[in-house]
Amino acid sequence: MSNEKTQNEQIILDKLFESFSNIEGSVRRERRIELKVSKDHVLSVLLYAKEQLSFFHLSHISCVDWLEDNQFELIYILWSHETQMQLFVKILIDREKPVAPNIDYIWRHANTYEREIREMYGIEFKGLVGEQEFILEDWEGMPPMRRDFDTKEYAEETFFDRPGREDAKDVREEIIERSREELPDFAKKYSRD
Amino acid sequence: MVNDRDSQKIVDYMKNFARKHSLFVMAYGTGCGAIEIPPTMTSRYDAERFGIRGAATPRQADVLLITGYLATKTLKRVIRVYEQMQGPKYVIGFGSCTINGGMYWDSYNTINLLDKYIPVDVYINGCMPRPEAVISGFIKLQQLIQDGKADGWKHYQDNLDDYRENQKKVIKNWNMPDFSW
Repeated sequence: MSNEKTQNEQIILDKLFESFSNIEGSVRRERRIELKVSKDHVLSVLLYAKEQLSFFHLSHISCVDWLEDNQFELIYILWSHETQMQLFVKILIDREKPVAPNIDYIWRHANTYEREIREMYGIEFKGLVGEQEFILEDWEGMPPMRRDFDTKEYAEETFFDRPGREDAKDVREEIIERSREELPDFAKKYSRD
Repeated sequence: MVNDRDSQKIVDYMKNFARKHSLFVMAYGTGCGAIEIPPTMTSRYDAERFGIRGAATPRQADVLLITGYLATKTLKRVIRVYEQMQGPKYVIGFGSCTINGGMYWDSYNTINLLDKYIPVDVYINGCMPRPEAVISGFIKLQQLIQDGKADGWKHYQDNLDDYRENQKKVIKNWNMPDFSW
């Protein structure tokens, strides 16, 4: 089903499918294309997108921690000034030994994003040059943006609580009873007890 | 013969009177609350009519404003700045983040209780406090100075070991001098 609005996106996606056999992708909506690439092919896909498809601009590298699947997902967000389109290139990497390719020779500013991800998630980028310390100072232990890092527990251990605030309690149960609603599933795991 | 106790009272009164009417505020914003300082200082609220004005360096300043959340990384610099200030010196905690952590109460990199690390004379609550609240906090500080009760800096010098213990719990790599005043 090809929508008339997303014709240009489909053309670019077809070009990518012609050049690479082992990628999945879809047109998410107008001016947004998503690609799922394996870790080994991401460099060639990014270079092809930059040199051939005019995606000159790397907006951001984002990271998602899929704790249940034991994987990290890196998302390279590219922007094309010519076609005014966004290209999301997603790769999955193993959570136990997180190693990703370094792309700071394609876009120099990727160095900053990669250093941030290295510090906040503990992902190693092969051949990345730069100070190990980026935003955090004298950090020991697990990188703080990982989902199995418990910030509340860490804050309780490290910092102090104002005396007299011990009676602060979870009032959601009372509110639910009062308004006769159900606690949604996603909220249950954030319950304090 | 002059009565020494009474004459000391008069001297203290004069000293405190002079101090409370020239509060030089260290120009160092740590959190989002620093955005409330320009309207407080400029023509609409005009804090200078109370003798409150900015100072460029810690050596010239009397008041240290901790404006909002304080990251552990910033705490190191704040301690350095506070200790370089010359006594008498006063600290104003600004916003709910300095009181109990505020909305960052479970964050891994912002402290929750400011007065465990440096002595605080006046807290201004609110998130953020408006310029009226800031000025009212300053007037409270002026009253405390006049009564001779704003002596947090003396408390800090007397209980330096306790404060250091708390500070070193957060700042793991303490590569600063043990005394910097």
